[in-house]
Amino acid sequence: MISFNRRTLFKASLAASAVATLSGCSLLRGTTQSGPGQLAGAVGLPDGTFAINAIDLQGRQLWQAPVESRCHSGCTRPSSNELLFVERRPGWSFYVFNIHTGERLHHIKAEGGEHFVGHGIFSPGGDYLYVPASRYEQGEGIVAVYDSQQNYKRVKTLELKGIGPHQLVMHPDGQTLIVALGGILTHPDYDRIKLNLDTMKPALILMDRNSGEILARFAPSHHQLSCRHVDVSPGGNIYAAYQYQGPRYETRPLVARYRGGQYEEIDFGHEVLAELGNYIASVVAHPENDLVALASPIGGTALIFEGSSGRIVSKTRIKDCAGAEALPGGDFLISSGQGELIHLSAHRSPVELARMPLHWDHHLVL
Amino acid sequence: MLRIAQKFLAPVQSLSLSLALCFGAATATASTVSPDAAESARKLWYEGIASGYHALASQAETLNKVAEAYCQTPATATRDSVTQAWKDAFLAWQSVRFVDFGPAELGNRAWQFQFWPDAKNLIGRKASSLLNQDDNVSPKVVAQAGVAAQGFPMVEYLLFDETVNRSENALPAEKTCQLLTSVTQTIRANSRDLNTEWVKFKPHYLETAQYTDGTILGAMNTLEILENRRLAAPMGLSGTKKRSIYRADAWRSGTSLATIEATLTGLKNIFLPAFSDLLKEAGGKDLANRINAQFNETLEHFPDVNKPLAELLTDDSAFYALQSLYVDISQLVTLINDQAAVKLGVVRGFNSSDGD
Repeated sequence: MISFNRRTLFKASLAASAVATLSGCSLLRGTTQSGPGQLAGAVGLPDGTFAINAIDLQGRQLWQAPVESRCHSGCTRPSSNELLFVERRPGWSFYVFNIHTGERLHHIKAEGGEHFVGHGIFSPGGDYLYVPASRYEQGEGIVAVYDSQQNYKRVKTLELKGIGPHQLVMHPDGQTLIVALGGILTHPDYDRIKLNLDTMKPALILMDRNSGEILARFAPSHHQLSCRHVDVSPGGNIYAAYQYQGPRYETRPLVARYRGGQYEEIDFGHEVLAELGNYIASVVAHPENDLVALASPIGGTALIFEGSSGRIVSKTRIKDCAGAEALPGGDFLISSGQGELIHLSAHRSPVELARMPLHWDHHLVL
Repeated sequence: MLRIAQKFLAPVQSLSLSLALCFGAATATASTVSPDAAESARKLWYEGIASGYHALASQAETLNKVAEAYCQTPATATRDSVTQAWKDAFLAWQSVRFVDFGPAELGNRAWQFQFWPDAKNLIGRKASSLLNQDDNVSPKVVAQAGVAAQGFPMVEYLLFDETVNRSENALPAEKTCQLLTSVTQTIRANSRDLNTEWVKFKPHYLETAQYTDGTILGAMNTLEILENRRLAAPMGLSGTKKRSIYRADAWRSGTSLATIEATLTGLKNIFLPAFSDLLKEAGGKDLANRINAQFNETLEHFPDVNKPLAELLTDDSAFYALQSLYVDISQLVTLINDQAAVKLGVVRGFNSSDGD
């Protein structure tokens, strides 16, 4: 079994509850610095080019910035005007924009022999950027660390001791990185072919962002449950979302929850899992309540469940839906590859806020 | 540089080469197909794909037998027979290439049959390292060398690559023969496994409703790749705007157009009948008839256009014939990927077809 420093984790969850209490109502990511509430996503445009598109919380267009190739997800830099997007796997660069105008501030290339995978997260003060990456010749997953105060100079590398990291988020303790390790080996020379489906070792990893020490490592219940996406509540409950690599006619649990020192999978049952098509693109834990949203483009399904019980409270069909974000007030916004923005609530029927002539990529960034 | 027939090129370029995804309309006009009709379609597809896989296994068996015979007693005549057997088996694969689910998907089997596109010439690089190693080449060595070494393009490389054919490694050199027969054994084993597993897959395919859309999406992906990557890209209608045979399938053997014909024929024979039934069920009888007619019209370009791509790209009148084919394929793609897909409510999504 893998190293698991219980004391550090316990400290982490204590710190987390303190943060939750102190921060009060303004828990939404980015709301303090990104102005009057806005969202951004990577998009594909009808002419085949790509951009970053920003909207307000009502789904109205704010700005659009062109990028050279398809991006995937990103993050806002705390205490700044900066919004960052990472190219999708194999990503050879990330972009930093002025969050208010879309002006491009930096375009940082990956180091030789490495590629990004589409995600990144800042330290709470916004000084360090953590970007999951792959040393693709060796097939080694890493977290590349950049110093935003030195024009995004590469300053450090953290070793994940595993293959195929994807999304990572910052634990509310401000110290622990939560990394979804997909376990799938790919190589840029081989398109997006999955090279190790028989020997995958996916995991959810908790890592100290300074020392790089792996504090905990949890394995999904089947080796082909690729742990790809993750979110964390202000109280420190972690939700991991999988993509199952086995045949379509089989279903397996697609969501896991970590709370109170326990890692356990939530089984929605065969029917719902079939509607999720063995694939979850986004998982978002609402910072104001106990609700968690999922979106599956393969299944064309978005749903909200109660984090503590796993009970589904809302489910709807949205073709090619993939992006999700929490809205102030307790609801969620879901985006789709068909340009839709849908307001999804636990209490009301879904409402289409906008339908734009563009394809929203996998994630919305608040 | 190749001369460009501007007067012909202009109208073709104006056709959309962008992502064949549509906005909005899908949900509004989608007609539902009854579960019974969908299951009948899957039954028909199941049998069609089974016979396609059976033909592939049979041709792969012959290819391996002929390759082994040639390597045991090499003579010019039997090298031609290897070439013919390779082509027959490769074209049998082309006609079932649209099946991207089930046993073809597991273990990257489709990639094992055909690693393409190969922008970095991995096939050439793998061949070179395998041919120049001291140890003998066996199917096991080929398996370890990865998908670029395991399929039809590797056999094509050994038979047709000009550099290899001019070198001391030219067939029937011992090491090259070892590689050739190891790859043909691998293709034979994969074809046999595909048949066995397709039989085991039958109840799942018939019982799982998602495979209806899955089968249609496989055909749609195949058509889009055919239009954009197998034709528009080498014709210089996208990307760098330069004509280049290297972006096509099977350029070394000059069979790029033959593979296109085989893919279209496979779709017409295996995919189209049940797809037409579904469209009719959804109230799209006219559309089904137009698609049938468009398949026939597209296939009428063959065998006239069935020439090595290098010839089609350099000669203006030949290029015009290629453009006519391209226009018909584009029309077919519009009818199936846009109109019919909308009618049936099948969405080839930005996220669902290429996620992460």
